[in-house]
Amino acid sequence: MITYEQTDFLYHSVTLLMDLYDISGGRLDVIAEEAEHQELSRESSTTMEPSRDRGGRATQDVSTFQRFSVNTNESLRFEPCDTSTPSPTGAEDGLDDDDDDDEDDDVFKEGDTENEINTIRNRLQGKVAEMENFAGHLEEIFLTVEENFGRQEQHLEQHYNDVLQTLSQRYDDRAAGLEEEKKSKLEALYNQLLACGEALDASKEHIEAAQEIYRSQDKRLFLKAVIPAIKRIEEFAKEEMDLSLSTTLEFNPPLVSDLSDVQTMMDSINVVPAPSAPVINPQMPNSATLTSLRVCWSLFSDDTVEYYELYYRPVLEDMPADSTCAPHVSKIKVKETHCTVTDLLPNAQYELWVTATNTTGISPASEKALYMTVPSPPVIKQRDCTSCPEAALIRWESGNTNPVDSYTVELSDMGTDGGITESIVALPTCQCLIQLQTGRRYLISVRAVNIGGPSDRSEVITVSTTGTFFYLLEDTAHPCLSISEDGFTVFYGDEELPISAMASDDNTFTSCVAVLGDLIPVRGRHYWEVEVDDGTEFRIGVAYEDTEKDSYLGATSTSWCMRHILTPSRHKYEFLHRGWSPDLRLTVNPVRIGVALDYERGTLSFFNVDLEQHLHTFHCHFRNYVHPCFSLDNTGELTVHNGIEAPEYAFI
Amino acid sequence: MAVTQVSSNKCAGGFQKVFEHDSSELKCKMKFAVYLPPKAETDKCPVMYWLSGLTCTEQNIITKAGSQLAAAEHGIIIIAPDTSPRGCNIEGEDESWDFGTGAGFYVNATQDPWKTNYRMYSYVTEELPKLINANFPTDPDRMSISGHSMGGHGALICALKNPGKYKAVSAFAPICNPIQCPWGQKAFSGYLGSDRSTWEAYDATVLAAAYSGPQMDILIDQGRDDQFLSASQLLPDNLIAVCSEKKIPVVFRLQPGYDHSYFFIYSFMNDHIKHHAKYLNA
Repeated sequence: MITYEQTDFLYHSVTLLMDLYDISGGRLDVIAEEAEHQELSRESSTTMEPSRDRGGRATQDVSTFQRFSVNTNESLRFEPCDTSTPSPTGAEDGLDDDDDDDEDDDVFKEGDTENEINTIRNRLQGKVAEMENFAGHLEEIFLTVEENFGRQEQHLEQHYNDVLQTLSQRYDDRAAGLEEEKKSKLEALYNQLLACGEALDASKEHIEAAQEIYRSQDKRLFLKAVIPAIKRIEEFAKEEMDLSLSTTLEFNPPLVSDLSDVQTMMDSINVVPAPSAPVINPQMPNSATLTSLRVCWSLFSDDTVEYYELYYRPVLEDMPADSTCAPHVSKIKVKETHCTVTDLLPNAQYELWVTATNTTGISPASEKALYMTVPSPPVIKQRDCTSCPEAALIRWESGNTNPVDSYTVELSDMGTDGGITESIVALPTCQCLIQLQTGRRYLISVRAVNIGGPSDRSEVITVSTTGTFFYLLEDTAHPCLSISEDGFTVFYGDEELPISAMASDDNTFTSCVAVLGDLIPVRGRHYWEVEVDDGTEFRIGVAYEDTEKDSYLGATSTSWCMRHILTPSRHKYEFLHRGWSPDLRLTVNPVRIGVALDYERGTLSFFNVDLEQHLHTFHCHFRNYVHPCFSLDNTGELTVHNGIEAPEYAFI
Repeated sequence: MAVTQVSSNKCAGGFQKVFEHDSSELKCKMKFAVYLPPKAETDKCPVMYWLSGLTCTEQNIITKAGSQLAAAEHGIIIIAPDTSPRGCNIEGEDESWDFGTGAGFYVNATQDPWKTNYRMYSYVTEELPKLINANFPTDPDRMSISGHSMGGHGALICALKNPGKYKAVSAFAPICNPIQCPWGQKAFSGYLGSDRSTWEAYDATVLAAAYSGPQMDILIDQGRDDQFLSASQLLPDNLIAVCSEKKIPVVFRLQPGYDHSYFFIYSFMNDHIKHHAKYLNA
């Protein structure tokens, strides 16, 4: 940056001077050269003074130049361009007029306002801050370098000592060897010398004995003695004397001293050691997705690593670890100490390990770490969800074949500005009863959670707490009942059913052509309506979940219902419990019946919705949760209306 | 429109009072009972008029029907007038229990000597409500009516003859079709004369057949062991048949084992006050 500014500034200076020169006529080359020289030397404006002098211009030129130099920052606006092409702007700036005052005006017009100065100052302050920052960084780097240098020095010294030690060891070994050899050679030679001396003595004796014999006056004695003497000498002469040196004079040290290990040591002073095994981190929360894992590891600070290799393979629970068909191990080469592994299976456990490699070699593998991908999102079972003004019961399927750790339900009030208003965490099972505010609309979704983190959100369902909402429990329906696609209208057709269709489980109504509704287990107030036509014989009310499925609704102590009977003369209405009903006459046949259940007060009331007419109230303490029940006693249909706000009169 | 307090007793958190006034309609002193629920101390409350049966006074309901607790709970004022003018010195007024004193039948008599005083219909539908609204913390727009036996008949005809005036109506063992029963025939011929067509204006069954007005919701309780039911004095089936045909909503409950007494009324009074509260407090 500084360099750039200076260069640009210098460029302007040159342009200016060139123009000045044009006017004064001549000596352009000198000035240009001077300017070039200065550009190279990166001097500031003060060093330009001589060049100006050299230009031999009057004072007014000097002042122009100085003013320009004050305005240096302006030069930032100009694009850096080839110095050989003078900028027209520069020319105008400098010298379209010789008059000093006019020059002043021009300059101030272009960059005059205080604002600009402020801008410049701010910019400069910014730069100062940047520089300080940079200086700070440099300082840090300096410290680090120094530290590293110290460490390196120590390291080198260590190496140097090692090498010296090795060499001196080698020297000692070699010297000792030579000494040994010398000693044995000397010993051998000495022995040989001794043998020679002995042989010499012996021959000397023989010679003296021969001479004595030779000098003997007595011939007979001579003759007598000479034969054995000759024999002895001959004998002696037979013993051949080994006069060659028994040992070589040469020492034979290894011809080429094997210094390769020293060489290696010397080399290794400049070579980094192979890294040690990296340390793989355990899985961090929220580091996984459905199909990917973010894995982190660390190295020992002294290690230099060129790249890492991350190995991973799925852990299959139903397969022994030593199985021959062990899952395939995948490998990724990375430079960083982290890696995001992709294309994995959801909610699956993976075994991962990592090695580090540099030019020297490869490290041992790290420990093996177990990571898990997050589960697939659960699937909310819409038809199994039920709600009332105070709560909602949400049920879902895991969406994963492997078990997950827990589930999280998230809900947001549609009245607020979106966002999650509440989370219910650590749910162990696939259902949750959520307390809610009355008269709101909520968006509810579920996530599955394992050690890798939460799954994506399930599909969102909308729950309205206006009224009580439930679906029919279709598995309780008598085989003759059929249920509409939307789940709220039940039909009793007149076609005969095959016997096989009558086979049913314990949950299914077998006598009464009935079905239960899945009312939320909340001991509050619930209200729903049923639409019938007045030619249909029906029973509607509530029943315990375990009500006798082979008896008729209202016939036992486990169900309460309103019954409509068509007699030849009139419409008869009964309010049945334990098979008993009050005697009651209605003048208007209800075709839309409101059912109001109040657990706290222990009441179950029926209303003619169209008239807001109260028909009957059962008073009973419901020990257990009850379910709405609906039955058709002859062919026809009825429709359940749900999620309706209870009218005020329903709970007077 | 001055009223004089005759008695006052704290009851169910409020007050059970009896007042006396000079009735311009009936030309005699009349007593009526007022139950003021606790809510009446601070707010205007709706009013339920209770019409009693033959031989009764304002005392029967307040001493026997157990209406006060429910009225207190729902914040309803209960007004119970007497059943006829008293002390008018009309010849024969005390001769029988089902005609004259204690048997006004809630009609405006047209025949001498009754026509001056026996104007119970106007009294309970006009004079009394005005008097009550002037003297008690009531909400004049919210009134309802109920009664027992002859009073049940009175409640039904008041409601049927004045569509929309009463927010709710109910009855205990009402005389549903007086022109067809001995009590009604005796009373109507005495008060209204021999022209049967004039009777129909006070017959609930006939009125129901001609009713046109805001939708009603009539609650009727009837004891199954009521001696007057079996004596064909009450004839609820006639009313039900007409209401069924006319689609006038009625819930008629035949209560097994109950008779015509206030023990029967007491047993179902809560249901009736709740029925009234539903419409009065809506």
